[in-house]
Amino acid sequence: MTPGVGIWRCTKCRTGFFPQPLLCARCHNDRFETDRVHDAVVEEISVIRHMLGQENWQPRRIASVRTSDGQLITVGLTGEAGPGATIELYQEENAPFGRDKT
Amino acid sequence: MFNNAAIIGVGQSAYTRRPEPGQSTHTFIRDAVVAALKDAELDAAEVQGMAVTSFSLAPDTAVDLAWKLGLSLRWLLQDTNGGSSAMNMLGHALRGVEMGAASPILIVAGDATGLAGYAKLASNYNIATREHLAPLGHGGPNGVYALVASRQMKKYGLEKSDYGHIAVSQRAWAAGNPYAVYRAPMTMDEYLAAPLVADPLSRYDCVPVIAGAQAIVVAHPDRAPKKRPGVRVRAIRHSFNYDNQSGDGLQTGISTFANELWQSAGVRPDDIDLASIYDDYPTMVLAQLNDLGLVPGNDLARFCRSEIAERTFPVNTFGGMMSAGQPGGPAGGLNGIAEAVLQLQHRAGERQVKDARLAVATGYGMTMYRYGGTAGAAILERAP
Repeated sequence: MTPGVGIWRCTKCRTGFFPQPLLCARCHNDRFETDRVHDAVVEEISVIRHMLGQENWQPRRIASVRTSDGQLITVGLTGEAGPGATIELYQEENAPFGRDKT
Repeated sequence: MFNNAAIIGVGQSAYTRRPEPGQSTHTFIRDAVVAALKDAELDAAEVQGMAVTSFSLAPDTAVDLAWKLGLSLRWLLQDTNGGSSAMNMLGHALRGVEMGAASPILIVAGDATGLAGYAKLASNYNIATREHLAPLGHGGPNGVYALVASRQMKKYGLEKSDYGHIAVSQRAWAAGNPYAVYRAPMTMDEYLAAPLVADPLSRYDCVPVIAGAQAIVVAHPDRAPKKRPGVRVRAIRHSFNYDNQSGDGLQTGISTFANELWQSAGVRPDDIDLASIYDDYPTMVLAQLNDLGLVPGNDLARFCRSEIAERTFPVNTFGGMMSAGQPGGPAGGLNGIAEAVLQLQHRAGERQVKDARLAVATGYGMTMYRYGGTAGAAILERAP
């Protein structure tokens, strides 16, 4: 588990992206530097109660969140945070997650 | 307006939830091709072009399909734009016929992924899905559109039952479609009592994956069967990656071209007699109808409770994919176009919309990360 979520920031216009782009969608620059965002606000939540092809599936929460840098990303949500709550972001390999802010 | 190209025939295979041994994507496609050629009164040897889309044709490609169908062609296309593939292929075929590249052109779409195959596809839809969504257990497109639906309900003041009006209404239309996999009437109580799949989406909000195929034939209008003129396309437009996934998904790519589409067609939303709207989820039906300017005052809730619930504005008269079934995704866009053709030729049987003259059909697809990134729409007209 890695604190924060990795984003790609355009070296020219400084816009941050997730997932990784090839060209900046704003200025079409081709150079990026990596950065991390640590906080986000929860906008919408869903509970995934059924997964096609899976037996014994345990319901899990996902959320659409807006990071403190402005990216709209989908995270796995642990804890009890609801819409409007600020959460702490972390990453497991390439997958972004969020949990209640301590 | 395409003056030298029209849709002159439609056909489909059986639709089934569970393919039997010996049935495959290829056999469903074959059955649809045979039906469409028969409907167009064409011999296979006359076909000069083919466009195909499928999630489950691989490792075969379009040329392998041409080989297996015994078609020697001078125009060939394989489309990869999911739910808008059919509309995309239609646009290419119309231009191909109009410009003299080939005629007739066969457009075909089909899938038989099976539930396990579809689950695998949903987790590996693209790199963003495989790396950033699937590890969350996001539930495939159900999870993605659950979040979009929550957003839409909040923005437009929709209640769960508003989506129910779409599901219930389309099921009522499906009763008149012998190919639909779900034809039994559904009540609002049954809709509301269905188990949640991904909050707020429940079972009847999620399109059922089936096996099947669809085909249509585009050719010069002179090639249409005698006494049954082909259906003309007054205008067609497409959009790809319209907002870099940076919006809320409540508008689709249709919003980028709707005004131009109506202007080019020379008709207005009020003139439309029926709509075939790509319906992987009720949420996206409403988004596309709104983008097209078919929802007065953008009042989605009122539209659901009146025009949809009372079926005064016919939407997805074949039952939509939500009742007829979704073969993979790409073929789903083609059944809406085929339905518009049948309605405009007054061949839709007990589900026929009286005096149908103009229809709008859409495609929407490719759930890239937060929502779909491709869309297309066409205005179709009954030949005078």
